[in-house]
Amino acid sequence: MRYITIALSKGRLTELSIDFLEGAGIDCSELKDNSRKLILTDEKNKIRFFLAKPADVPVYVEYGAADIGIVGKDTLLEEGRDLYEVLDLGFAKCRMCVAGPKELEGKMELVSITRVATKYPEVARLYFRHKRRESVEIIKLSGSVELAPLVGLSEVIVDLVETGRTLKENGLTVLDTICDVSARMVVNRVSMKMENHRITKLIEDIRRQL
Amino acid sequence: MKRWNIYTPEGVQDILFESCRQKRLLEDKIRKTFRLYGYREIETPTIEFYDVFSENGLIKQESMYKFCDSKGRLLALRPDFTVPVARIAATKLKDEVFPIKCCYIGNTFSFDELGGGRQNEFTQAGCELLGINSPEADAEIIAMAIEALKATGIDEFQIDIGQVGFFKGLMEESGLDGNEIEEVREFIDQKNLVGVEQVMDRHKVKSELKKIILDLPRLFGSKDILQKINYGDIGKGAANALVNIKEVLEILEDRNLAGYVSIDLGMVQSMNYYTGIVFRGYTHGVGFPVLSGGRYDRLVTLFGRDLEATGFSLGVNMVLMALERQKKLIPEKQEGVLITYDDRARRLAGDYCRELIAQGIPAELDILKEGTGKSREYAVSKGFSRIVHINADGTKKEIML
Repeated sequence: MRYITIALSKGRLTELSIDFLEGAGIDCSELKDNSRKLILTDEKNKIRFFLAKPADVPVYVEYGAADIGIVGKDTLLEEGRDLYEVLDLGFAKCRMCVAGPKELEGKMELVSITRVATKYPEVARLYFRHKRRESVEIIKLSGSVELAPLVGLSEVIVDLVETGRTLKENGLTVLDTICDVSARMVVNRVSMKMENHRITKLIEDIRRQL
Repeated sequence: MKRWNIYTPEGVQDILFESCRQKRLLEDKIRKTFRLYGYREIETPTIEFYDVFSENGLIKQESMYKFCDSKGRLLALRPDFTVPVARIAATKLKDEVFPIKCCYIGNTFSFDELGGGRQNEFTQAGCELLGINSPEADAEIIAMAIEALKATGIDEFQIDIGQVGFFKGLMEESGLDGNEIEEVREFIDQKNLVGVEQVMDRHKVKSELKKIILDLPRLFGSKDILQKINYGDIGKGAANALVNIKEVLEILEDRNLAGYVSIDLGMVQSMNYYTGIVFRGYTHGVGFPVLSGGRYDRLVTLFGRDLEATGFSLGVNMVLMALERQKKLIPEKQEGVLITYDDRARRLAGDYCRELIAQGIPAELDILKEGTGKSREYAVSKGFSRIVHINADGTKKEIML
């Protein structure tokens, strides 16, 4: 039997992903050992795992280097890879939003927005092109995106919003919701066909826990 | 200014000795198989007028390499073969007796996404079957695809069959508008059940029909899935599509090829010229399909002739990668001979070399003439089986490597 390879996102998704896999009867002990090994295995079920930076998970899966991946919808949107998105795992929920100063609330249609700061340049570009039919300057930042409108780097930002507290404390507000975000299970298009039975069973075993 | 003279552009590659040999070997096997099954090879120009591909948005303009001819007309490097074949069929094959079977092996160029074995310049080998629209013709082209893949040496593979009429039929019944249909299509293509549900929940659609649309991302696998659908629920167009798939499968069963095929009713990729049966081939080791094809009954019409047609193309580079990953590449036979000789035996050495070559054995004269050590190094690097030294008196000494 071939190994089925699963790519997990390193970070806030890791623990809950492991819970789901264990719930599906997969032995993740090696994964929880904090070892320095990069690839870990469950020999009984012939499953291999590895942890990767979230943004890399869709890449591994698209190329078939991993058959399955668990990753946030935000990353999937940003990476725009050609994959099967088979399950909404429902955890790590938040919203991808356009946010800006309170004065802009309800006036998004009236003012012309020219600069958008974000960690998600692709998501922002697509949103402004398709939904608003605007060409905007996208400014890619690596963190603390909320700063941008405060110091005049951009008019608005596109970012993940969980509770909205950070926005509020800085006098910003959600202007529009682009989409809901949560952890997703993705599958390589070829693996889905070549290993249909095993992968479908795994999907069902995880779906049952939702 | 940076000089680019030592680089190749993105997405193109030099293919050197062993890889090149393997690639030609593979192409030869495919070419031979095509010919044995009655497909005659054609060559089309590497460059065509841009209009050939841009008509009706056939191929996205941003994926084409474009430039101008001396009169300022827009040209494109061919991004595929099917469209040029359609042009030829409409303009040059008017006197051919049906069915017209032709094949091609050549390079295509497109700016699509790179990686995982995908390049901007890649070799396609394919067949087109023109002049017939029948289950026999659909089965025939799928059989050809299977035989071609078998000939490459890949034994574990799967051909997925879909029918674009199934999705179209369901959508007509549902009454969704164009944008929503496109939305649903994308979600189904990604097997995104949640997404399909979100769109469908915004609409009042007959519950049986809705159930099938929601189920579409899961409607793939063995032919049993065809039994799961009640033809009464899905409208005439979709029902006809299912009957079509069934007929094609039965013919493939009679040809003993059923083991290679399965069904994917959710196969709704946006190759906008397909009109009927569509299919894709998968194998282990590569993350992308190794072949794809389908029926395109309205493509030739764009060039001025109504002609039904179907075809497929196989990604030669992708197959090569699969063979490599599956460890199925056949290494070169170690049979070559390096001939070294005393100066006075030069004529004899030349004769012997020609003699070996005439027998089909690769042979080279030692033109380096820098002694045994260097000769040996060269012979080993070429993967030769032995060195034969010819003495001045004509006697030979053989050194096995």
